[in-house]
Amino acid sequence: MTIDFYWRLPTHGCHGTIRHSAYDRGDWSPLGPHNMAPGLDRDGKDDGFRYIDHLAEIAKAAESMGFIGGLIPSFPNTDDPWVISPLLARETKTFRFMIAFQPGFLNPVHAARLSASLQRATGGRTVFNIITGGGGPAQLWWGDSFSHDDRYGRTTEFLDVFKGVWKNGSFSYEGRFYQVTDGGLSPLLAAEEIPEIWFSGSSDAALQSAAKHADYYLSWLEPFDQLTDKFARVKERTAALGGEQKCAIRVDLVARATEEEAWRDIRIGFENVGDETRRRLGGQRTDSVGAARQAALRPSEARRYEELIVAPNLWGGFNLLRGGPALGIVGSYEQCAARLDELIARGADAFILAGTPHLEEAYRVGEEVLPLLGRRAETLLQAAE
Amino acid sequence: MTIRSYWQLDVAADPRRSEAGVRSSQGDTLFRDVRTGALNRYDYYAQVGQAAAQTAFDGLFLPYRPESDDSRIVAAAIAREVPKLALVPEFPAWVGSAVYAAKQAVSFQRLAHERLGWAIAPAPDAGTRAGDGDHVSEDELAQRTEEFLTVARGAHGQRPFSFAGSHFEVQGGGFEPPLDRVAFPQVFLQGETEEALTQSARLADVHLFRPASLPALRSLTERLDALALREGRSVAFGLIQPVLAREDAEEARQDARRAGVGEGTLIGDYAEVAARLADLAAIGITHFVLIATPSLEEAYRVGQHVLPRFRARTETVRAAA
Repeated sequence: MTIDFYWRLPTHGCHGTIRHSAYDRGDWSPLGPHNMAPGLDRDGKDDGFRYIDHLAEIAKAAESMGFIGGLIPSFPNTDDPWVISPLLARETKTFRFMIAFQPGFLNPVHAARLSASLQRATGGRTVFNIITGGGGPAQLWWGDSFSHDDRYGRTTEFLDVFKGVWKNGSFSYEGRFYQVTDGGLSPLLAAEEIPEIWFSGSSDAALQSAAKHADYYLSWLEPFDQLTDKFARVKERTAALGGEQKCAIRVDLVARATEEEAWRDIRIGFENVGDETRRRLGGQRTDSVGAARQAALRPSEARRYEELIVAPNLWGGFNLLRGGPALGIVGSYEQCAARLDELIARGADAFILAGTPHLEEAYRVGEEVLPLLGRRAETLLQAAE
Repeated sequence: MTIRSYWQLDVAADPRRSEAGVRSSQGDTLFRDVRTGALNRYDYYAQVGQAAAQTAFDGLFLPYRPESDDSRIVAAAIAREVPKLALVPEFPAWVGSAVYAAKQAVSFQRLAHERLGWAIAPAPDAGTRAGDGDHVSEDELAQRTEEFLTVARGAHGQRPFSFAGSHFEVQGGGFEPPLDRVAFPQVFLQGETEEALTQSARLADVHLFRPASLPALRSLTERLDALALREGRSVAFGLIQPVLAREDAEEARQDARRAGVGEGTLIGDYAEVAARLADLAAIGITHFVLIATPSLEEAYRVGQHVLPRFRARTETVRAAA
């Protein structure tokens, strides 16, 4: 058995350290002397590098460390994965581009052609992270006014059409959202493999859609027992609906040579969070069920970082340090590997890992943590006791 | 007026060249064939781009070819290897959300130094569109294109941006820093009908004409000028122009007969073709999309021999003016 490990391409800039919140890689914070991609040259002028130059470095680091690819997240203020992936296609060799996107934003026939073209550009390295959740005002920003359950219905239909035109020379479809008459990809494009599909969403509407079309069910890290139940429910429910789901976890790591060093970085990072950041992160609006589960942790109210330790090596304040989910793994290399092993034992079939800064941490996690997986870390930890 | 010349990278032209599938279906070869799937047609696209860059074209025009690789994917895939070329992919207005299209354009502009153009592909017949899942009726197509561009530009340039039309709806849209710092792509529209000219007058930065006689082109450009003036705008004129240029005029005519080139192709020796292009520049055409196949060899030929003569002529005219 092997497990697919993905890394993450941060599409909203990257912090040079988890201890400070300034995005000094990319142009999401005001450019200063220490900034890079873009940076300032000796005359204080734009040095001509762009954020893609840094993303290229991360992708190459990840593929050289044995990560199979990377998640490329998409939000209103990020760069777009459909642009990043082809820009980096020819500079990378094995790195799979996991494109996060909302199906409602693209015509499904056009999306099939885009995807087949990208498969040709990359030698079959396209993966999808289909996003349907979120909603409310955030959704209207994108020009999308469907209600929550309708969006999953539309996702299902989108993938019906997407796969239908790919697999059939002449495909017709009469759905609520999409109608196609005698559509199909050309033989040139249809010869490509349909990208693997990763799905998120905890609601029943999401699981129905996943059962039909997804290869992987992707969850943020949650407290382990809660996650075990969730994976069991997903596998059971989708099996009942006639599908089969592998389960995957998205999680940030702070892995250091010793546990003390790891918590020290967390402590410093936590103490550097300003009140404004705390308030902003406490007040985000969404109707996503997954987001609500995470919100129960209430990191915005904690006064000391220790209050957010929810289990050994599990810290619930990551969203104070950078955008994204709250819960992550903190510990020595051996402890981090042991926690990942435990998650594999509880039903995880794949991971999307991340650490800040993404470039250096891809090397660190790739060199220090991944080789310990498969119970090697546990043996080391037991020997140490 | 600065002249901009683009080479056409047509992904459906020379379809067998560098294509892995064609290679494998050829059976055993006497020569030891060590090529793998790692070498593919995108290498060829990148080479055509290099040819255009090295012979001093200003950009690449990538026509919409639904049977082959997507124009925007190809443009992005080769963008970092041709850092100075403008990239103008053509795509239809039914690709999806106009906000999302704008967001992708912003990313391209940010990451690739603001070189993107948007050419909106003319709509095909209703049957083809039904196969693409596009059921907007014929008489709403112009309106849809207008809304697509209005929403994309609005989301790009204003915050908050709201819009409620027949085809697109947005509330509280618009990009935050740093996504709001790049220019919107230059918009290229096409068509010879009064409706197309009227639309360009309102929406296009550049209007691309098809080859026609000088008087016919002159009357079209004058009409478009008048329509644009009424909108308080100005639209640059462009031309999608096939060329067949050879060292010797007779050779050019011979090759033209053999290849069966289309009507409107400029045929002649290098100096003749350059002179015809200069005539077109003299009536106000400033954006030239030049076409010839095979794309790679012809990019070198036209770039090395026609473009310098063409530039010399237009610069003489400018100096005289």
